[in-house]
Amino acid sequence: MSQTAEAGPAAASPGAVRRRTPFAVGLAAAAVALVIVGFVASVGAFPESWNLGLADPIDRTRRWLINNQTSHWLYTVLLNPLTDLADAGIRQLEAVLRWFPWYVYPVFCGLGLWRVRGRVAGTLGFCGVVLIGMTDLWQQGFATLALMGVAVFLSLLAGIPLGIAAWRNDRFAGVLRPTLDAMQTMPGFVYLIPFVLLFGIGRVPALIATVIFALPPVVRLTDVGLRNVPGPMVEASEMFGATDRQTLRLVRIPAARPAILAGTNQTTMLAMSMVVIAAFIGAGGLGQDVLRAMRDIDVGEASEAGIAIVIMAIILDRFTRGIATLGERGRGQEPDAHAGGSLRAADTTAIRWIAAATALVALVGGIVGHNTFPEWLQWHYAPYINDITAWARDNLYDIGNSGIGTGPLSDFITVYMVTPLRELLSSGIPWPAMIGLGVLGGLLARGVTLGLGIGVALLGIGWLGMWELSMDTLAQTLVAVAVTLAIAVPLGIQASHSDRFQKLIDPVLDFLQTIPSFVLLVPVITLFHVGRIPGIIASVVYALPAAVHYTDLGLRRVPAEVHEAATSFGATRWQRLRRVELPLAAPELMVAVNQVIMLVLAMVVIAGLVGGGGLGLETVNALRRSDAVGRGFEAGIAIVLLAGILDRLTRGVADRLRPPAAA
Amino acid sequence: MDQTSPDSAGIPAVQTMTGADADAAETTVSVTGLWKIFGRKVDAARELAESGAERDRIQAETGCLVAVQDVSFHVHAGETFVVMGLSGSGKSTLVRCVSRLIEPTFGHMEVCGTILADASDTALRDLRRSKMAMVFQHFGLFPHRRVVDNVAYGLEVQGVARDERHERAREVLTTVGLDGWGDHYPQQLSGGMQQRVGLARALAVEPEVLFFDEPFSALDPLIRRDMQDELVALQLELQRTIVFITHDFAEALRLADRIAIMRDGAFTQVGTPLEILTQPADDYVRAFTQDAPIAKVLPACSLMRPVGDVAVEESWPRTTETATLESALPFLLSAHRPVVVCNAGGDPLGLLHPHDVAAVLESNLR
Repeated sequence: MSQTAEAGPAAASPGAVRRRTPFAVGLAAAAVALVIVGFVASVGAFPESWNLGLADPIDRTRRWLINNQTSHWLYTVLLNPLTDLADAGIRQLEAVLRWFPWYVYPVFCGLGLWRVRGRVAGTLGFCGVVLIGMTDLWQQGFATLALMGVAVFLSLLAGIPLGIAAWRNDRFAGVLRPTLDAMQTMPGFVYLIPFVLLFGIGRVPALIATVIFALPPVVRLTDVGLRNVPGPMVEASEMFGATDRQTLRLVRIPAARPAILAGTNQTTMLAMSMVVIAAFIGAGGLGQDVLRAMRDIDVGEASEAGIAIVIMAIILDRFTRGIATLGERGRGQEPDAHAGGSLRAADTTAIRWIAAATALVALVGGIVGHNTFPEWLQWHYAPYINDITAWARDNLYDIGNSGIGTGPLSDFITVYMVTPLRELLSSGIPWPAMIGLGVLGGLLARGVTLGLGIGVALLGIGWLGMWELSMDTLAQTLVAVAVTLAIAVPLGIQASHSDRFQKLIDPVLDFLQTIPSFVLLVPVITLFHVGRIPGIIASVVYALPAAVHYTDLGLRRVPAEVHEAATSFGATRWQRLRRVELPLAAPELMVAVNQVIMLVLAMVVIAGLVGGGGLGLETVNALRRSDAVGRGFEAGIAIVLLAGILDRLTRGVADRLRPPAAA
Repeated sequence: MDQTSPDSAGIPAVQTMTGADADAAETTVSVTGLWKIFGRKVDAARELAESGAERDRIQAETGCLVAVQDVSFHVHAGETFVVMGLSGSGKSTLVRCVSRLIEPTFGHMEVCGTILADASDTALRDLRRSKMAMVFQHFGLFPHRRVVDNVAYGLEVQGVARDERHERAREVLTTVGLDGWGDHYPQQLSGGMQQRVGLARALAVEPEVLFFDEPFSALDPLIRRDMQDELVALQLELQRTIVFITHDFAEALRLADRIAIMRDGAFTQVGTPLEILTQPADDYVRAFTQDAPIAKVLPACSLMRPVGDVAVEESWPRTTETATLESALPFLLSAHRPVVVCNAGGDPLGLLHPHDVAAVLESNLR
């Protein structure tokens, strides 16, 4: 995770002795006073009369925009041509993709994965692509792929130069990095709202939202990659009289290539998840099928489309990662742990021949027109999934009326965790007290700036009229975070202690992480029906891999010598864990908490779709009905504020936990 | 020539200097009054330093670090000039200032007749392309380029066509003993081989001046020894002007025509290895000489006296001019006769007298 640009007085040296300014003391006193006054007066929820009423003007703007879409110069001169151009680009790419005969795709995906990951991956890739065709999702797949292709292309086209600019100019980087931080804390869903407001629904707002959403990793990693080019390499280049441009082209960019490719991989995956979510605003493609099936609670249909998305995501992920590692392997560097076994020479030759043969056939096939997936190969497994779903609902929901099953589990979480917490946050704790606590938290975590920032952000949520909905979302988020950590931390500890266990769970986590967030809802509603709980469960699954990974990473970073020192004093394994490893890994664990919160929040918002309520529902409504855009916009801002508060707070704590740096 | 820094001004300077009377025309690298001060109040720091203040005091008072303090030296064509100092003495900063990889604060540098201090970027680039090259401590190789492309880098930057630069690169690779390794990537090679690539890369552009920034200190001792021998052999053939930075006194003795001992940013003593060993300027330099394996390092010819009108007898033992003192010791000890130092053709160059050798060895023990 990147560093924040927070500039509180205590931010300069985390862990060092803090200098309390009188202002900070005053602020703390005010915060405490707010808590006391809040409880004494017991004012409850944020007063509705303080609502700024942002929704109406936004709705008016929206209506005006709709009415003037064909006449106003803003559209006729600027936006409509842009829209047409982008739409034509997507259409063109889709046409090109469709021109090739269908059998080219499984063969090339299979060969590509064989090349970068080995035979098993190649076979699975081949079968996966065939499966997409068999379930009659060929056309939708191309729609998704075309939108994504254009989005990734534009993201890289803008992102790499931005990264280079950030590396060149520290002042620009100083502005850009916090902006990227903020962008990455915003759930993908929220990006859709402003573009719907401006463009209405369709592929173009989806494209723009995707480009912006997917931009940060490639910008950041280009910048970081260029900055990390070893000094001696650059000195050597300069010493031979290379111009700055030559050094950039011949040394810096090639040396930063692995980082830039890693950024490209992340950008591709973000674009994939966004393109799927963008089905909400009429982006079409596979996401559309999932969405429609979920509205009808047709789990079978949703699964077919969802699995097609997962297959696409995994193939794209392995490809973009593979390209990065292939280059490294060629240069005799240690192959990536994920890269699989090395390839036999015979395989390479076989791959070349099959690829050449297929390319030849493709040319002929494209002209002849084998471009639709043949009907005789079609086979749907949706009915079986529906059978399983029905069986699960009948048999797993409450196994033998024993009070054990997904139903009672869901009730338990609702009754004993979510509902009480929601009530506590939204009305149990008076709103001034909530704000006071937020300010205090910010003060303790980082300093005056954060304390004030949190205070203003919380007030802002109230002014938007989103207090109760925000507290609902916050309660769901906190429950999901607690559940995630309760599962992930023990797994992470186990993984850090046992390489075998780590090898065992790594592929599972890797797989889970590749699934676009939206698709995760499909299996969850199979088991838990609709409501708040499927959202929470999906959030847990979504956030679990990152949590386990960071816990494992943090604990593994504890030096072996420290372990040995602890053991040499006769510490038991448990003592060592509790007194040495966990405190030393605390900053990384806090980063894990931060990541979990951000992932969970993004998912909880999407879960508005399956009855999650809260801020997510308002956003979903805004995307569905044009008269709800104003409310949705307010909810979107509230989500951004909430995300910002949680992100800064946890990062502040993480920095506090870091031991003082060496002098 | 200023060979002592202000703080050692009271110590009698070594008089005999091979380069001292070198003609200005054949001086390839010339540095006068070079300062590098890190920090903002450079003028105040310089004044303090000139008044004889210690580094720590200057840092406390001005916040500036005086990394290089009023250094002057001149290296003539074909000479190997070694700057020896411990870590933090400013030697790496010095070589970077001389090549202008970092900007010096004050001072005048001249390389191959071009005044470097205020050269434009273009002039500096031209000079680097044609006249100088550097070998780095951690090699500074490009991991994304094959060995041959690493070696050809300087030529590529100059715009030399691909085939031509590859041909030249492979030639140089043969010179450094890496024939056939061109298509590997640098990280597939051992440390010693990697530094050969670094050396080949520098030689490929046929520079007049070679800068070496502790090139062998990252290598293990045996490989380091081999590399030193090879550099000596290469230098006999190529006769480049070399500025060599090291923290290893033995290495300095093996390679140098002249050595500058650097301490706290200033030169403490400049002289030939023999001068440094036999007439150390102060206790600091003497501390190094005491650990030096003097007999292994000094060549026999360094202590010889001219034959003059002595009649050289056939029965006197003989040795070559490149042989070390150590190799002459058995002859000196077995018979109380001088040893005749001969050149490659067998002609006597001078006589090595037992009492001279004994005096040097004794002074080394003190």
